[in-house]
Amino acid sequence: MIETALPPQVSQWLGKPVIVIEHVVTAEVGLWLNFCVAVQDANPLYWNYAAALGRTEAVIAPPAMLPSWGIPHDWSPGAEGPPLRTLELHFMVKDALGLPNGLVTEVEFELHDPIRAGDSVRVEQILKEVSPPRQTRLGHGRNWTIDVVYRKPGDILAGVQTLRFLGYRKAP
Amino acid sequence: MITCVGLTVGARLPDLRIPISAKTIVMGAAASRDWQPQHHDSAWARDSAGLPDIIMNNYTQAGFFCRYVTDWSGPDGRIGRFKFAMKKPICPGDEILLQGVVEGVLPSVNGYSWVDIIIKALVDGALATSAEVRLALPNTASSPSPWRCARALWAP
Repeated sequence: MIETALPPQVSQWLGKPVIVIEHVVTAEVGLWLNFCVAVQDANPLYWNYAAALGRTEAVIAPPAMLPSWGIPHDWSPGAEGPPLRTLELHFMVKDALGLPNGLVTEVEFELHDPIRAGDSVRVEQILKEVSPPRQTRLGHGRNWTIDVVYRKPGDILAGVQTLRFLGYRKAP
Repeated sequence: MITCVGLTVGARLPDLRIPISAKTIVMGAAASRDWQPQHHDSAWARDSAGLPDIIMNNYTQAGFFCRYVTDWSGPDGRIGRFKFAMKKPICPGDEILLQGVVEGVLPSVNGYSWVDIIIKALVDGALATSAEVRLALPNTASSPSPWRCARALWAP
Protein backbone atom coordinates (compact mmCIF):
# COMPACT_ATOMS: atom_id res chain seq x y z
CA MET A 1 0.00 0.00 0.00
CA ILE A 2 1.07 3.60 -0.46
CA GLU A 3 0.13 6.62 1.62
CA THR A 4 -3.08 8.40 0.58
CA ALA A 5 -1.76 11.87 1.44
CA LEU A 6 0.76 13.41 -0.90
CA PRO A 7 4.24 13.91 0.52
CA PRO A 8 4.61 17.63 1.42
CA GLN A 9 7.44 17.98 -1.09
CA VAL A 10 5.18 16.84 -3.94
CA SER A 11 2.34 19.12 -2.79
CA GLN A 12 4.76 22.06 -2.91
CA TRP A 13 5.67 21.25 -6.52
CA LEU A 14 2.08 21.44 -7.77
CA GLY A 15 1.28 24.25 -10.19
CA LYS A 16 4.67 25.93 -10.42
CA PRO A 17 7.79 25.51 -12.55
CA VAL A 18 10.03 23.11 -10.65
CA ILE A 19 12.61 22.43 -13.33
CA VAL A 20 13.66 25.29 -15.60
CA ILE A 21 16.13 24.73 -18.42
CA GLU A 22 17.50 27.85 -20.08
CA HIS A 23 18.32 27.82 -23.79
CA VAL A 24 20.69 24.83 -23.83
CA VAL A 25 20.65 24.07 -27.56
CA THR A 26 20.55 26.28 -30.63
CA ALA A 27 18.31 24.88 -33.35
CA GLU A 28 20.17 24.22 -36.59
CA VAL A 29 18.95 22.92 -39.93
CA GLY A 30 21.44 20.04 -39.97
CA LEU A 31 20.19 18.81 -36.60
CA TRP A 32 16.55 18.71 -37.64
CA LEU A 33 17.28 17.21 -41.07
CA ASN A 34 18.74 14.18 -39.24
CA PHE A 35 15.29 13.76 -37.71
CA CYS A 36 13.56 14.24 -41.08
CA VAL A 37 15.81 11.51 -42.49
CA ALA A 38 14.89 9.17 -39.62
CA VAL A 39 11.15 9.51 -40.28
CA GLN A 40 11.57 10.13 -44.04
CA ASP A 41 9.66 13.41 -43.87
CA ALA A 42 9.85 15.34 -47.15
CA ASN A 43 7.82 18.37 -45.98
CA PRO A 44 9.46 21.23 -47.93
CA LEU A 45 9.01 23.61 -44.98
CA TYR A 46 11.86 21.71 -43.28
CA TRP A 47 14.13 21.42 -46.31
CA ASN A 48 13.44 24.07 -48.93
CA TYR A 49 13.96 27.78 -48.30
CA ALA A 50 12.06 28.81 -51.44
CA ALA A 51 8.99 26.76 -50.46
CA ALA A 52 9.15 28.02 -46.88
CA LEU A 53 9.56 31.70 -47.73
CA GLY A 54 5.91 32.51 -48.42
CA ARG A 55 4.62 30.45 -45.52
CA THR A 56 7.04 30.46 -42.60
CA GLU A 57 9.61 33.01 -43.86
CA ALA A 58 12.42 30.48 -43.47
CA VAL A 59 12.71 26.73 -43.07
CA ILE A 60 11.37 25.45 -39.77
CA ALA A 61 12.03 22.47 -37.52
CA PRO A 62 9.57 19.54 -37.44
CA PRO A 63 7.08 20.17 -34.61
CA ALA A 64 7.67 16.72 -33.11
CA MET A 65 11.19 17.87 -32.28
CA LEU A 66 10.07 20.66 -29.96
CA PRO A 67 11.11 18.79 -26.78
CA SER A 68 14.48 17.97 -28.29
CA TRP A 69 15.55 21.61 -28.15
CA GLY A 70 15.16 21.54 -24.38
CA ILE A 71 17.29 18.47 -23.69
CA PRO A 72 20.68 19.48 -22.27
CA HIS A 73 23.75 18.17 -24.05
CA ASP A 74 24.70 14.74 -22.77
CA TRP A 75 28.20 16.10 -22.24
CA SER A 76 29.58 19.62 -22.30
CA PRO A 77 32.95 21.16 -21.43
CA GLY A 78 33.38 21.75 -17.74
CA ALA A 79 30.03 20.26 -16.75
CA GLU A 80 30.07 18.46 -13.41
CA GLY A 81 27.87 15.56 -12.41
CA PRO A 82 25.43 13.63 -14.57
CA PRO A 83 23.17 15.53 -16.99
CA LEU A 84 19.53 16.05 -16.06
CA ARG A 85 17.39 13.08 -16.96
CA THR A 86 14.93 13.65 -19.80
CA LEU A 87 11.88 15.09 -18.06
CA GLU A 88 13.62 15.29 -14.70
CA LEU A 89 10.44 16.33 -12.85
CA HIS A 90 8.77 13.02 -13.69
CA PHE A 91 11.61 11.10 -12.05
CA MET A 92 11.53 13.42 -9.03
CA VAL A 93 7.79 12.76 -8.57
CA LYS A 94 8.21 9.02 -9.05
CA ASP A 95 11.03 8.90 -6.49
CA ALA A 96 9.19 11.11 -3.98
CA LEU A 97 6.11 8.89 -4.20
CA GLY A 98 8.22 5.76 -3.76
CA LEU A 99 6.98 4.24 -6.99
CA PRO A 100 9.74 2.30 -8.76
CA ASN A 101 7.99 1.95 -12.13
CA GLY A 102 6.59 4.61 -14.41
CA LEU A 103 5.24 4.85 -17.92
CA VAL A 104 3.81 7.51 -20.18
CA THR A 105 0.12 6.92 -20.86
CA GLU A 106 -0.51 9.89 -23.17
CA VAL A 107 1.47 12.71 -24.76
CA GLU A 108 -0.21 15.88 -26.07
CA PHE A 109 1.26 18.87 -27.89
CA GLU A 110 -0.22 22.33 -28.44
CA LEU A 111 1.88 24.07 -31.08
CA HIS A 112 2.41 27.79 -31.48
CA ASP A 113 5.34 29.66 -33.03
CA PRO A 114 7.56 27.30 -35.06
CA ILE A 115 11.26 26.83 -34.33
CA ARG A 116 13.64 28.33 -36.89
CA ALA A 117 17.42 28.08 -37.20
CA GLY A 118 19.07 30.14 -34.47
CA ASP A 119 16.16 29.76 -32.04
CA SER A 120 16.50 28.21 -28.62
CA VAL A 121 13.93 27.50 -25.94
CA ARG A 122 13.41 28.09 -22.24
CA VAL A 123 11.73 25.06 -20.72
CA GLU A 124 9.50 24.97 -17.65
CA GLN A 125 8.36 21.63 -16.21
CA ILE A 126 5.19 22.04 -14.12
CA LEU A 127 3.43 19.35 -12.10
CA LYS A 128 -0.28 19.86 -12.85
CA GLU A 129 -1.98 17.13 -10.82
CA VAL A 130 -1.47 13.88 -8.96
CA SER A 131 -4.28 11.36 -8.50
CA PRO A 132 -5.14 9.55 -5.29
CA PRO A 133 -3.58 6.10 -5.00
CA ARG A 134 -5.37 3.44 -7.00
CA GLN A 135 -5.10 -0.18 -7.96
CA THR A 136 -4.14 -0.74 -11.59
CA ARG A 137 -3.59 -3.81 -13.73
CA LEU A 138 0.15 -3.37 -13.23
CA GLY A 139 0.10 -2.72 -9.50
CA HIS A 140 -0.78 -0.10 -6.88
CA GLY A 141 0.11 3.43 -7.97
CA ARG A 142 -0.91 6.93 -8.96
CA ASN A 143 -1.37 8.98 -12.13
CA TRP A 144 0.17 12.39 -12.60
CA THR A 145 0.29 15.06 -15.29
CA ILE A 146 3.21 17.31 -16.19
CA ASP A 147 3.06 20.34 -18.49
CA VAL A 148 6.25 21.35 -20.25
CA VAL A 149 6.14 24.92 -21.58
CA TYR A 150 8.58 25.93 -24.33
CA ARG A 151 9.29 29.62 -24.92
CA LYS A 152 11.57 31.20 -27.49
CA PRO A 153 13.62 34.35 -26.80
CA GLY A 154 11.32 37.32 -26.28
CA ASP A 155 8.97 35.10 -24.28
CA ILE A 156 7.31 33.86 -27.50
CA LEU A 157 5.34 30.69 -26.85
CA ALA A 158 6.57 27.83 -29.03
CA GLY A 159 4.34 25.14 -27.54
CA VAL A 160 3.10 23.20 -24.56
CA GLN A 161 3.62 19.48 -24.11
CA THR A 162 1.35 17.66 -21.67
CA LEU A 163 2.47 14.24 -20.48
CA ARG A 164 0.29 11.88 -18.48
CA PHE A 165 2.02 9.18 -16.44
CA LEU A 166 1.24 6.12 -14.43
CA GLY A 167 3.66 5.35 -11.60
CA TYR A 168 3.25 2.02 -9.86
CA ARG A 169 4.74 -0.67 -7.71
CA LYS A 170 4.51 -4.07 -9.38
CA ALA A 171 1.91 -6.36 -7.89
CA PRO A 172 3.64 -9.23 -6.03
CA MET B 1 -2.84 20.62 -52.31
CA ILE B 2 -5.62 19.63 -49.93
CA THR B 3 -8.11 22.31 -48.84
CA CYS B 4 -11.40 22.12 -47.01
CA VAL B 5 -13.34 22.19 -50.28
CA GLY B 6 -15.29 18.94 -50.42
CA LEU B 7 -13.60 17.57 -47.31
CA THR B 8 -16.08 15.67 -45.19
CA VAL B 9 -16.15 13.64 -42.03
CA GLY B 10 -15.18 10.08 -42.80
CA ALA B 11 -12.66 10.95 -45.52
CA ARG B 12 -9.73 8.57 -45.31
CA LEU B 13 -6.06 9.36 -45.58
CA PRO B 14 -4.03 6.95 -47.73
CA ASP B 15 -2.59 4.04 -45.75
CA LEU B 16 1.14 4.22 -45.09
CA ARG B 17 3.31 1.18 -44.35
CA ILE B 18 6.64 1.76 -42.62
CA PRO B 19 9.13 -1.08 -42.11
CA ILE B 20 11.00 -0.56 -38.83
CA SER B 21 14.65 -1.53 -38.41
CA ALA B 22 17.07 -1.01 -35.52
CA LYS B 23 18.49 1.81 -37.63
CA THR B 24 15.08 3.53 -37.77
CA ILE B 25 14.75 3.42 -33.99
CA VAL B 26 18.32 4.42 -33.15
CA MET B 27 18.39 7.18 -35.75
CA GLY B 28 15.10 8.62 -34.48
CA ALA B 29 16.24 8.53 -30.86
CA ALA B 30 19.62 10.08 -31.63
CA ALA B 31 18.16 12.79 -33.87
CA SER B 32 15.65 13.70 -31.16
CA ARG B 33 18.52 13.78 -28.63
CA ASP B 34 17.01 11.00 -26.53
CA TRP B 35 19.74 8.83 -25.00
CA GLN B 36 17.64 6.59 -22.79
CA PRO B 37 19.07 3.08 -23.19
CA GLN B 38 15.84 1.36 -24.19
CA HIS B 39 16.11 3.17 -27.53
CA HIS B 40 19.62 2.03 -28.51
CA ASP B 41 20.85 -0.80 -26.26
CA SER B 42 19.21 -4.15 -27.05
CA ALA B 43 20.79 -6.02 -24.15
CA TRP B 44 19.71 -3.36 -21.66
CA ALA B 45 16.20 -3.25 -23.12
CA ARG B 46 15.78 -7.01 -22.78
CA ASP B 47 17.65 -7.71 -19.56
CA SER B 48 16.98 -4.60 -17.48
CA ALA B 49 13.66 -3.31 -18.79
CA GLY B 50 11.98 -6.57 -19.71
CA LEU B 51 11.26 -5.35 -23.22
CA PRO B 52 11.38 -7.56 -26.31
CA ASP B 53 14.11 -5.36 -27.87
CA ILE B 54 14.90 -1.67 -28.27
CA ILE B 55 11.68 0.34 -28.70
CA MET B 56 10.81 3.40 -30.77
CA ASN B 57 10.78 6.55 -28.61
CA ASN B 58 7.75 8.79 -28.41
CA TYR B 59 9.39 11.66 -30.35
CA THR B 60 10.01 9.42 -33.35
CA GLN B 61 6.45 8.15 -33.22
CA ALA B 62 5.28 11.78 -33.11
CA GLY B 63 7.48 12.49 -36.11
CA PHE B 64 5.86 9.69 -38.10
CA PHE B 65 2.34 10.92 -37.22
CA CYS B 66 3.15 14.49 -38.25
CA ARG B 67 4.75 13.29 -41.47
CA TYR B 68 1.73 11.10 -42.25
CA VAL B 69 -0.64 14.04 -41.93
CA THR B 70 1.43 16.59 -43.86
CA ASP B 71 2.30 14.05 -46.59
CA TRP B 72 -1.47 14.12 -47.21
CA SER B 73 -2.18 17.82 -46.66
CA GLY B 74 0.91 19.35 -48.25
CA PRO B 75 2.94 22.11 -46.62
CA ASP B 76 -0.01 24.45 -46.06
CA GLY B 77 -1.37 22.00 -43.50
CA ARG B 78 -0.37 23.40 -40.12
CA ILE B 79 -0.63 21.12 -37.10
CA GLY B 80 -2.05 22.96 -34.09
CA ARG B 81 -2.43 20.13 -31.67
CA PHE B 82 -1.81 16.41 -31.49
CA LYS B 83 -1.83 13.68 -28.90
CA PHE B 84 -1.07 10.01 -28.83
CA ALA B 85 -1.17 7.05 -26.48
CA MET B 86 1.22 4.13 -26.81
CA LYS B 87 -0.34 0.73 -26.21
CA LYS B 88 2.39 -1.66 -27.37
CA PRO B 89 6.12 -1.11 -28.02
CA ILE B 90 7.36 -0.81 -31.60
CA CYS B 91 10.53 -2.84 -32.18
CA PRO B 92 12.97 -3.71 -35.00
CA GLY B 93 11.37 -6.05 -37.51
CA ASP B 94 7.90 -4.58 -37.05
CA GLU B 95 5.99 -2.97 -39.89
CA ILE B 96 3.75 -0.08 -38.90
CA LEU B 97 0.53 0.45 -40.82
CA LEU B 98 -0.79 3.99 -40.40
CA GLN B 99 -4.47 4.57 -41.09
CA GLY B 100 -6.17 7.94 -40.72
CA VAL B 101 -9.70 9.24 -41.00
CA VAL B 102 -11.18 12.73 -40.78
CA GLU B 103 -13.32 12.88 -37.66
CA GLY B 104 -14.36 16.52 -37.75
CA VAL B 105 -14.21 19.71 -39.81
CA LEU B 106 -14.77 22.73 -37.60
CA PRO B 107 -16.22 26.06 -38.74
CA SER B 108 -13.88 28.42 -40.56
CA VAL B 109 -11.77 31.04 -38.76
CA ASN B 110 -9.43 33.54 -40.41
CA GLY B 111 -9.50 31.77 -43.79
CA TYR B 112 -8.73 28.31 -42.51
CA SER B 113 -10.59 25.49 -40.78
CA TRP B 114 -9.57 22.97 -38.16
CA VAL B 115 -9.66 19.38 -39.31
CA ASP B 116 -9.56 16.63 -36.67
CA ILE B 117 -7.94 13.39 -37.77
CA ILE B 118 -7.88 10.08 -35.92
CA ILE B 119 -4.87 7.86 -36.62
CA LYS B 120 -4.17 4.24 -35.78
CA ALA B 121 -0.68 2.75 -35.86
CA LEU B 122 -1.12 -0.98 -36.28
CA VAL B 123 1.51 -3.70 -36.00
CA ASP B 124 0.42 -7.17 -37.14
CA GLY B 125 -3.17 -5.95 -36.99
CA ALA B 126 -2.93 -4.91 -33.34
CA LEU B 127 -3.14 -1.30 -32.19
CA ALA B 128 0.34 -0.14 -31.16
CA THR B 129 -0.43 3.58 -30.80
CA SER B 130 -3.54 5.72 -31.23
CA ALA B 131 -3.27 9.39 -32.16
CA GLU B 132 -5.39 12.47 -32.79
CA VAL B 133 -4.21 15.44 -34.84
CA ARG B 134 -5.86 18.85 -35.18
CA LEU B 135 -4.73 20.36 -38.46
CA ALA B 136 -5.41 23.82 -39.91
CA LEU B 137 -6.19 23.69 -43.64
CA PRO B 138 -6.92 26.56 -46.02
CA ASN B 139 -10.63 26.85 -46.76
CA THR B 140 -10.03 27.13 -50.51
CA ALA B 141 -7.09 27.19 -52.90
CA SER B 142 -7.13 31.00 -52.78
CA SER B 143 -7.28 31.24 -48.98
CA PRO B 144 -4.14 32.33 -47.11
CA SER B 145 -1.93 29.60 -45.71
CA PRO B 146 -2.62 28.97 -42.00
CA TRP B 147 1.08 29.62 -41.52
CA ARG B 148 0.33 33.29 -42.27
CA CYS B 149 -2.07 33.54 -39.33
CA ALA B 150 -1.05 36.31 -36.96
CA ARG B 151 0.51 34.99 -33.77
CA ALA B 152 -2.17 36.62 -31.61
CA LEU B 153 -4.97 34.94 -33.58
CA TRP B 154 -3.49 31.43 -33.60
CA ALA B 155 -5.51 29.46 -31.05
CA PRO B 156 -5.11 25.70 -31.41
